[in-house]
Amino acid sequence: MNFKQLAENRHEYAKAWKARTGGQVLGYYDPYFPEELAYAAGMLPVRILARHEPDDVSTKWIYASCYPVRDYVNQFFNGRYGYLDGIVDTGGCEWVYNAFEVAMNTTPSLKTHYIFIPRYPNAPTSPGLVVSELKTMKKVFEEWTGREITDESLDHAIEVYNKNRLLLMRISELRRAYETPLFGSEAMQMLLADQVMDKAEMNAILESFLAELQERPPREDRVRLMIIGSETWDAELEELVESLGANVVIDELDNGTSYFWNTIYEQKDRLLAIALRYLGRPHSALRDNNWRRRSQHVFELAEDYMADGVLIVKQIYCVIHGTDNYAMWKLLRERNIPYHFFERDTSLPEDETRQRLESFINMLKPGLVRLRGWHEPLVI
Amino acid sequence: MLQKGQLWETKPLEYYAKAKELRAKWEKNAENKEIVLGQGNTSFVVDWQQAFPAIMVMEDNPRGSTIAAKNLPEARRFRLASESRGWGREICGYHGVLWGQQFIGYQVDGSPFPERKFVVPIPATCECHTKRGEQCKDFSPVPRWSGDQCVYLGPYDQERDKAMLDHRAWCSWKIINDIERIFGQQFNDEKMKELIKISRAVKPIREEIFKLMTHIPAPLSVKELYSTYVLGGLVKIEMNELLDFWRSVRDEVKWRTENNIAAVGTERYRWMEAHPPAYYFLKYYRYMEKYGAVCIGSQYTNYTFAQLERKPDGSIGDRDYTFVDEYMTPIPQPDGSIHEKVLYHPTFSPEMRIDTREDEIRYLDGASARGSVQHFKQDEIYRPYALNEFADIYKVNGAIMPLHRSGVNCTLTRKEQAMRLRKAGVSVMHYELNQGGDNTDLDEKRMLEQLDQWMESQGLRKLED
Ligand code: SF4
Ligand code: SF4
Repeated sequence: MNFKQLAENRHEYAKAWKARTGGQVLGYYDPYFPEELAYAAGMLPVRILARHEPDDVSTKWIYASCYPVRDYVNQFFNGRYGYLDGIVDTGGCEWVYNAFEVAMNTTPSLKTHYIFIPRYPNAPTSPGLVVSELKTMKKVFEEWTGREITDESLDHAIEVYNKNRLLLMRISELRRAYETPLFGSEAMQMLLADQVMDKAEMNAILESFLAELQERPPREDRVRLMIIGSETWDAELEELVESLGANVVIDELDNGTSYFWNTIYEQKDRLLAIALRYLGRPHSALRDNNWRRRSQHVFELAEDYMADGVLIVKQIYCVIHGTDNYAMWKLLRERNIPYHFFERDTSLPEDETRQRLESFINMLKPGLVRLRGWHEPLVI
Repeated sequence: MLQKGQLWETKPLEYYAKAKELRAKWEKNAENKEIVLGQGNTSFVVDWQQAFPAIMVMEDNPRGSTIAAKNLPEARRFRLASESRGWGREICGYHGVLWGQQFIGYQVDGSPFPERKFVVPIPATCECHTKRGEQCKDFSPVPRWSGDQCVYLGPYDQERDKAMLDHRAWCSWKIINDIERIFGQQFNDEKMKELIKISRAVKPIREEIFKLMTHIPAPLSVKELYSTYVLGGLVKIEMNELLDFWRSVRDEVKWRTENNIAAVGTERYRWMEAHPPAYYFLKYYRYMEKYGAVCIGSQYTNYTFAQLERKPDGSIGDRDYTFVDEYMTPIPQPDGSIHEKVLYHPTFSPEMRIDTREDEIRYLDGASARGSVQHFKQDEIYRPYALNEFADIYKVNGAIMPLHRSGVNCTLTRKEQAMRLRKAGVSVMHYELNQGGDNTDLDEKRMLEQLDQWMESQGLRKLED
């Protein structure tokens, strides 16, 4: 399956979807956006993804934001997202709010909505607050589309989205094997494609991909890496890692595995069920407050996926991950998990990154001990 | 004797000595071994920590900015200590400076760093606020609580507001309740009621001062405001003392206004800022005075306490708010327009009865979930327009808008605001720096040259030339 192509052709896909269905395409930035509601209203929710492009616009509008956000603004002014009928901001990172606000201020024809998802997701009052926000958003979407969001349409959306998460989870489990048939770049491209496509269509693709994967011969064993840090918009880093004889076997990125890690448990109160899923997802760095959950989640993934080392990849100007670095470095040191930290923007300086990664991977190799020969390699 | 170009009489401020004394007392308090010291801030409405027998919370901003202003090499060393532990360079400089001391173990004066025993939030939309105190808790496992600055766009929405206020109230209740339990200190509800009473008395006094700041010549300049407005906000003071202090400031400012006593005797040009200045390079305020240019503040200083607006008849007055008497029971307007047009006051009506602890907490969190965010402007796009209104009310000719490379909220939408100000005829100058507590990217010489160019481009010359 060529997920890379699917992800790269996202604009063409959305335009074709629109022409085919007559539906509205809704852009969102943050993985806390409860897509099910948009889907139940007959819209196509698509994640707005950054893409490295020459930028001659954003500096006029925005200063000192991370590069992905500059790119959102740039792409917006350059008409890449001209097909969007609306945009929703989820009260995530403030730089994203800035991109949202520029779009809102400069394009009155664009439908816009702001839904507040608390940054303290685990307060007992948070589900009630999100349900209240979902009720408002439901009314807004009904108004936009002229279509009632019924219990039946919500049930259908939940079913489609839950199936999608289950399929992604099943595929992810295959990455736990020593000789996993899946490369990190392919897994990331699959996730990016998943976030810009109609989930029903994507589910069919994932089902056949899963069948194909189960028939794939195991790949040779490689140095196993994990990626954490700011979200990503391409799989260049994973490809670079692979070219150096290693493999990214897991990530803890907001638009990586955190996107599908938990599911909706159906309840009579559909909105509550949706609220609980989004509040209960692995904490993003922004929403990891009070007693941290993120550190434990990172550790569990590293352990379960047998990561030999961790790459902490932060976007320049990403305050949120800049703040979390201290906790992450501390955790990884305490648990003797080797890590390498570096910053990037929407581009990836090839030579410099190659050298860094090569050194890191070479540093890991002598210490690696696999249990092969002692017992059967873990095959799932 | 009149100085060259002097237009107005001027006089040193009398309340200044008291302001310094109060600030020093606050800093000294942190060394009191009997007190349980925490990181963060209590409400700007009521300083609830005073209802505990021995709790004190300290905020990053005033400490970080003071250290940067007084001892740049040490500030740099502290920031490096933070950076080398992974704390990103794009994080608000105040935090980097403060927590660097924690890592190194000593403060700027060489004394041991008093470790914080808990962390309370000061919710704001800025991520640096949301994540504030994480490092302190990541350093040693002390309790940390969270809260939320709730936001939605568009007009007041009773239903959304209610859910948000309930959430905020729960967060506040949890903090107070847990502090009682964990530190074995009783929260004194009677004292809290007393604090609320005093805070109600302080509020209109502060508002009056910031209204008086619209006067020409400006009775205070931003330099005085910075040393004053934090008292009771970021720097906590015993409430009765605070009330007396603000009364004395109000009286003095009022007298200055009535007698046209200026902060800057040569005032002929008024300019505004937006958010914190380079605290380690405040020299530029004096430099601007060479042109007869006075900084009258920013929405950061002035709008924290006073919300003004231009009325349809052209006059300037208090923003037209509707108070609510009880939580979520807004007073209906005669024209029935409560949900569409009326802006709810972020604080409760002064007549609201306070009986229970819940009442106290509700009062703390305010009557409108968006709190201070909404007072910038009720329209959908609240920030970019807010500064235009501010510029109009405070009668400014120009604006200096720093572009910070670190921190978020202090630079968010700044470019867009500048465009809108220029459109309204306000000349804008940007300069780049890291942040008010971080001088990494500030080129001082270049900035002064830029100021010359900017002033000259508007036809102004240095008065001494
Ligand atoms: S990379 Fe960081 S700063 Fe940029 S949008 Fe994501 S969370 Fe925000
Ligand atoms: S960037 Fe500004 S708003 Fe944010 S924490 Fe720093 S001073 Fe506060």
